[in-house]
Amino acid sequence: MFCGMDLGSRNVKIVLAEESGIKGFYVYDTIDFYKKHGHKEEDSLIVDFKGLGLPEMELDETGGDKLVTTGYGRNTIRIKRGEEIPEIKAHALGAGWQTGLTDFTLLDLGGQDSKVVLVRGGKVSDFQTNDKCAAGSGRYLENMAAILGITLEELSSYTQEPVDLSATCAIFGESELVGKIIEGHPIGELAAGVNYTIYKRVKPMLLQLASPVIVFTGGVAENKALCKILREELEVEVVIPKYPQFNGAIGCCVHGGMRGSLT
Amino acid sequence: MNRKIGITTTIPVEVVYAADLVPVDLNNIFITHENPHGLLEDAELAGYPRNLCAWIKGIYTTVVKNDDINKVIAVTQGDCSNTHALMETLQLEGVEIIPFAYPFDRDQDMLGLQIDKLTLALGADREKVKEWKMKLDQVRERVWRIDELSWKTNKVSGFDNHLWQVCCSDFNGEPDKFSQEAEEFIARLEKAPDIDAPVRLGYIGVPPIMTDLYQYLESKGARVVFNEVQRQFTMPFDTDNIVKQYSMYTYPYDIFWRLEDISREIEKRNIHGIIHYAQSFCYRQIQDLIIRRKVNVPVLTIEGDRPLHLDARTKMRIDSFVEMLK
Repeated sequence: MFCGMDLGSRNVKIVLAEESGIKGFYVYDTIDFYKKHGHKEEDSLIVDFKGLGLPEMELDETGGDKLVTTGYGRNTIRIKRGEEIPEIKAHALGAGWQTGLTDFTLLDLGGQDSKVVLVRGGKVSDFQTNDKCAAGSGRYLENMAAILGITLEELSSYTQEPVDLSATCAIFGESELVGKIIEGHPIGELAAGVNYTIYKRVKPMLLQLASPVIVFTGGVAENKALCKILREELEVEVVIPKYPQFNGAIGCCVHGGMRGSLT
Repeated sequence: MNRKIGITTTIPVEVVYAADLVPVDLNNIFITHENPHGLLEDAELAGYPRNLCAWIKGIYTTVVKNDDINKVIAVTQGDCSNTHALMETLQLEGVEIIPFAYPFDRDQDMLGLQIDKLTLALGADREKVKEWKMKLDQVRERVWRIDELSWKTNKVSGFDNHLWQVCCSDFNGEPDKFSQEAEEFIARLEKAPDIDAPVRLGYIGVPPIMTDLYQYLESKGARVVFNEVQRQFTMPFDTDNIVKQYSMYTYPYDIFWRLEDISREIEKRNIHGIIHYAQSFCYRQIQDLIIRRKVNVPVLTIEGDRPLHLDARTKMRIDSFVEMLK
């Protein structure tokens, strides 16, 4: 059994797999995961697989099971008996496995991160990430939806007549949006403006690492409006893999030894 | 008599020694302080903005707090315009400022004039300046040797390469002692174990504010075999003429002059990838776009704001970069 674990800033995503393919998907709130299902022994974290509702893993050298971890949490907490791999690598492997593509630009928009990776011949050939700011990430969308009083799903249905939002900060962006609400713009235009803000954030990275095909992963890939904006503005093919949110954890399983592809 | 004189970056240090003064590179005092964060906070309490280069703020408090530094040579052209306001705020605190300007176009007449003015301001003798140039070149030669061993062997860590070279801005105020220590370091290298880090990196940009960068890279299998600006501090040029020397020095001049040096060393040292460090809020961040177009190996740009440790996001980016180069 392979266990791929993506320790994200908002959620921990786990994929269980065998050599032939995926056996199960699991997602946990990051804080709950660390507080309720982990305990520290020296400098590494022991994960309570049973408490998480997962089968016990035989992670000893003779056990035959393999745990591969990635994600933001990887640098602060080492999961005991797990092999750590960099996020960019995990996401590139996952996207390749899910789509069967070997040449593409990967756009991964997660809870706090934006990553753009140029993949050539199945390997990472260049990448860029956001640096000190979370504008253009899932957390930004959540905050903006909350201010508009709509669900993320509804937010992701608007692309027309976007209001112009110029704040470069995810927090100051909130007060700018409030100002636009007071000006009387309809919800649809406000929501479209929010979606366009994300696009404007990632556009320079996508242009610098351009390919005819963009594979879009991470929780934000569920945003249909953003997919449409990417397709129309960049005139490229946008491929959303079947499991965008689990892409990093799938990449961990691929690194562990899962074969084949989803396609 | 107090012989210490602060410097904000590398200046013709031969003149300072010829004037029988002791140069103190203020950046080094700031970054090796037991609580550099405290120095930054003090500068902000004095009114320095939060969104401003930490080196400038660190230098400010370093000078204000050190009673034995009441004279500073400040580089007014060839470094950054923040230095202008740094000078003025220090002046407000009663510190004597001696400006030094590297001419933008590397004009040797203008540069010669600046060195003459500095010589006059410090009351140094021109002949003595020449003598010190010869003397310091002998010290530099030892550091050149350390740098050479950094890329020709696997025995010198990226941090040691950084440290020995960065100290050549002021030779720690004691050139003879520094030279002796460099000699001893070279002697110890013979028996030093090989560093197992097959990925060969170049580091370009101002010295990093996060001092654990080099160790972190080595723990991931990558070693810095070229520190661009630090190497420039060692004046690695074959010339007896001090004006020529400081006109060949790349750091204070245009990016294309720096890139000639960078490209040459990438080739010579067989470098697999470049880490371009840019300080938060620094105008040099703009030059990243030129560097990315002109350097022919992969470039990772990292940004640092405050000392002393790499943050998790930068570590993640470094991991991926090193992995990509393997």
